[in-house]
Amino acid sequence: MVKKRVFGTLLPSVAALAMMSGAALAQSSDEILAMSWEELVAAADGGTVNWFMWGGSDSINTYVSEWVGGQLKERYDIRLNRVGINDTVEAVNTVLGEAEAGVTDSGSVDLIWINGENFRTMKQADLLFCGYTDLLPNNRFLNWEDPAIANDFGTPVDGCEVPWGRTQVAIGYNTANVQDPPRTVPMLLDWIKANPGRFTYPAPPDFTGSVFVRHVFYHAAGGVDGLLGDFDQAVFDQVAPKAWALLNEIEPFLWRGGQTYPNSSPALTQLFANQEVDFTVTYEPSSIGLNVMNGTFPETTSSYAFDDGTIGNVHYVGIPDNSPNKAAALVLANLLIDPEAQFEKALPDVWGERTVLGPDRVPAEWAARFDALPRHESVVPEADLAERSLPELSSGWLTAIEKGWIENVGR
Amino acid sequence: MTASNQSSRAAPAGGTRDGRRDVIVRWAVISLLLTWLALPIVPLLIWSFSFRWFFPDVLPADYSLRAWQYVFSPTSGVLQSLRDTLLISGGATLLSVIIGVPAGRALGQYVFRGKSIVELLILAPIIVPGIAVALGIHVLFIRYGLANTLFGVMLVHLIPTLPYMVLVMSGVFANYDTSYEAQARTLGAGPIRAFWYVTLPAILPGIVVGGLFAFLVSWAQYILTLLIGGGRVVTLPLLLFNFATAGRNDITGAISMLYIIPGVVILLLSARYLTGNASAVGGLGRL
Repeated sequence: MVKKRVFGTLLPSVAALAMMSGAALAQSSDEILAMSWEELVAAADGGTVNWFMWGGSDSINTYVSEWVGGQLKERYDIRLNRVGINDTVEAVNTVLGEAEAGVTDSGSVDLIWINGENFRTMKQADLLFCGYTDLLPNNRFLNWEDPAIANDFGTPVDGCEVPWGRTQVAIGYNTANVQDPPRTVPMLLDWIKANPGRFTYPAPPDFTGSVFVRHVFYHAAGGVDGLLGDFDQAVFDQVAPKAWALLNEIEPFLWRGGQTYPNSSPALTQLFANQEVDFTVTYEPSSIGLNVMNGTFPETTSSYAFDDGTIGNVHYVGIPDNSPNKAAALVLANLLIDPEAQFEKALPDVWGERTVLGPDRVPAEWAARFDALPRHESVVPEADLAERSLPELSSGWLTAIEKGWIENVGR
Repeated sequence: MTASNQSSRAAPAGGTRDGRRDVIVRWAVISLLLTWLALPIVPLLIWSFSFRWFFPDVLPADYSLRAWQYVFSPTSGVLQSLRDTLLISGGATLLSVIIGVPAGRALGQYVFRGKSIVELLILAPIIVPGIAVALGIHVLFIRYGLANTLFGVMLVHLIPTLPYMVLVMSGVFANYDTSYEAQARTLGAGPIRAFWYVTLPAILPGIVVGGLFAFLVSWAQYILTLLIGGGRVVTLPLLLFNFATAGRNDITGAISMLYIIPGVVILLLSARYLTGNASAVGGLGRL
């Protein structure tokens, strides 16, 4: 009864207030697409972008807030509001919730750091603003003919997101504990059996655990070639039992006898930092260097990619269709693929992530600077990664493998 | 042992002996409680200054101010989040008092049809998971433009804070004698003066206790803030979770230190009201 009275009297007045202040200029997709770049920049002037992104790395937060935010303010007079979240799916759910509530032009999210399953969800639900990539002047530095860029985990990008960075799985180890790390997936499986309790991986559907399982899956399939394209139940039924057998075989030799798995990638990072296990698996090779610099890992840490390859992917930024600040979000997306921004991001003491720009697309002087980039000594060399890169599978495969692992290995 | 032997021989006056034992017991309990409350904070404090702290070392290999530099840097948003969290919890507490005092009076003083249902409804948010209610409220809040705003988060925090406030105030009013107010009125005080000089001093301990509950309950909210704030309203628990899940113990430790301060300060300021005053902890007046 008390509550009813409060809402009865307060809500209407508050709602009236909110409506008065919230009547900003909404920007519909069609209006934006009809503009020239100059008109867009003018429309974005003095605006704000709310960028939802995973907020658990102080290095990434600092790069985004200080360098990107500073440049955005200086060059375009746009305010960047970095919204740190724990999981990208939170931002996706926000947009989904708004769509269900009928919010079509005043959403709260202007840009999301996104890829994979989250991108597919949003694209399928028609929640993304699409078809703007040609508008961005810096789009010319991107190589859209590269299938790794034109497809996000097997889902065609179709101009619905802009690539921001490139990652590839790397294996970290402590040179003080392991002198001669296993260089291929089968060698690793043997090493695990010879060194009980010194290896583990996060339980899928954790992102990193899932990719580790895919490496074993590729090995069981005798290579990735037969797995590319849409999900194929017949191929899956043939390969999966072999993969589960390999994983069940090593299970008793894992950390804690395989009774339990770390529930997340940070949990594995923590186990490795405490030297409870000898290896860490990461999607982000630069994170090994960052973790040595911030004191999480010992200085004797090193990393490498398997000789039989590690899986890599590209991550993107996307603009929800109900964003009220599309022009400013586009200006930001364009800034993110500016060679200068990509170079700053690639510096080892900033973030150390590889550029997503095509080496033959950027001006020669930038290509030379990217080539000459220093590397943290704990991070696997760029060339090692490039020549050992394996593609991601499409989302249907990912779901089936994760589900299969839970049923047959995790239980 | 020796102390009690000595006192039993030397002190004929039983009161002194009991008094001394009381003092010993009291200090033992206080130091035990302090250890209990303070010990978990110690590792967090060390983490916030640590650099390279590896298992199984007892102390970090190195110390650094990095985490604190990040916390106080203008771009990390930690200080802004501290300010927003204070605003939200302070506002939610104030609203709880404004609603809770009259509601508590009605429940503590009057008998009316359906009173037990009203009592149950007020307790419901403690029993029913807040997330279930909040999902429904979210849709309404979007429609009213309250989602993603500081004020919206403040309002939604009333769901968990109000039960505590109303519960405490109804306990206070159950033991409150309105004839004092009548006395003041017959002596010529208007309703406002009677409230200010008679009612308020009598119920103040209850307001402080209820307000403290309300503040701390709001201060600790995570899921309601995330849902209604939509990531735009970033309170300290949200930031804390960001770094805790990412395994950054140093920054988590530093933010935790900031997070603990307001609670401790308020607890110290209101300590004199928290001396087990029966009327302040009487629940719905018949516990």
